[in-house]
Amino acid sequence: MKALAAVALVGLMVLLALGVSGVFPRPAVPSGEDIAAEWGAKNVVAAIILGVRLWDTLFEILVYAMTMVGVKLGLRLLRWERPLPPVAETPLLRRSADLLLGPIVVFALYVAVSGHLGPGGGFPAGAILGTALLLLALAKGVERLSAEIHEPTLEWAEYGAIAAVLAVAGALLLLGRRGSAYLIAANLLIALEVGIGAWVVLHRFASSRGEV
Amino acid sequence: MGMVLLAALTLALAVFALTQRRLLWGVIGVGAHSLALAGVYLFLAAPDVALTQAAVGFGLVTFIYLLALRRTGKLTVAAVETPHLLHQENERVAGLEWEILSRFGNQLHRDVEVMWVPRAEIPALLRAGDADIGAGALFPREGEALLLSRPILPTRIVTVRCGPGPVGAVAGDRGQDFLPPGSTLYEDHAALAHALRRGEVGGAVADLLHVRQWVLSGEVRPRETTDVEEAAFRLAVAPTEEDVLRALDAFLAELEETGELAQLVRRYMG
Repeated sequence: MKALAAVALVGLMVLLALGVSGVFPRPAVPSGEDIAAEWGAKNVVAAIILGVRLWDTLFEILVYAMTMVGVKLGLRLLRWERPLPPVAETPLLRRSADLLLGPIVVFALYVAVSGHLGPGGGFPAGAILGTALLLLALAKGVERLSAEIHEPTLEWAEYGAIAAVLAVAGALLLLGRRGSAYLIAANLLIALEVGIGAWVVLHRFASSRGEV
Repeated sequence: MGMVLLAALTLALAVFALTQRRLLWGVIGVGAHSLALAGVYLFLAAPDVALTQAAVGFGLVTFIYLLALRRTGKLTVAAVETPHLLHQENERVAGLEWEILSRFGNQLHRDVEVMWVPRAEIPALLRAGDADIGAGALFPREGEALLLSRPILPTRIVTVRCGPGPVGAVAGDRGQDFLPPGSTLYEDHAALAHALRRGEVGGAVADLLHVRQWVLSGEVRPRETTDVEEAAFRLAVAPTEEDVLRALDAFLAELEETGELAQLVRRYMG
């Protein structure tokens, strides 16, 4: 056992040394600016996430969607759901939620739309959207908000967003077209998916035995 | 330099969050820590990661913790008003059991919230999970499947007789178990004392704590009292909250050992 470990360790060191020494040819990595320009973006990260590494992003979105559906179905099958008690309204929280909601949603949209030009993109925008919904949930109570925003419709909107992202990206991969219009559309759809998904998962956990 | 300062701030905020006694302050500390971490990412030329860290760590996670705190961070006590034990005093709650409960809540890092209910409703509330602890009354009644804490205050159940007529008791109270059939039940001890004074009932089965209060306030003048049963005031715990019961018993045992419980009893019972 010890001998095996020693051999493995030595082998690892040799591989590392070979890698560092430059015996193997390295792939030529284009500069960030070139990649960005090729995909119609200024932000290298956006070009990589939605361009070079599009497959990874698509499967990440799928994993996220599967998690959401899994949480939903799992908790429903286990019959853990119990309605939350109504929340006492606090005027301060209610007023600040009313005041902050608009700016937060606008900022989330800005982050999504400008994701190919600067820092941002669909994922942080979705998280910000989710935060806005959570703020409202704190002010109004989870159950009331869920009824007000027509949650079942919202869930279908999310599935629609996932389908649209997959369709857009698939068409892009097949046709080989690139451009900033595609990046903006993809970022917006991802923001929608992540934002609604965050809300749905949180709501399920919140109404299940009260353990978030 | 700025980065080193921010990294140090991140560490300091993490320590702050870990050492808070109140959970709410801990959550605020975690949020601030996330924000400082986002600053570190910004200095490391990763604005995209910084933005995501700020949105998820500072926004989403803080809100989730706040929602969780609102739901589980409270210790809900379903209580009956009993003089010296648990009662309202100028909009504040006071009494021996309140003192114990608030100290216990402090130890568990949970805010204690009292809801006043009739005695008969406490078991259902505890079983449904709408309350964690029942207080201010004699537990248990026959057939009540509740978890019980160690005894807090010994007492006695007595029958007081003021005149001829049927005997009354409080609905759901331990005294109800000793009533002959055909007796009258009242919602709380105040209603029972009222009925006793007006002669609706000729006697009552109640605990010594209430009887003493009635006699001291001159509300009831007993002609004869007979002992029914030795008993003790305990706290009732919801059947699903075994952890709370274990913690509560350990807490009470410590109070007894240090003699603090005896001190508290002296202070509140006079």
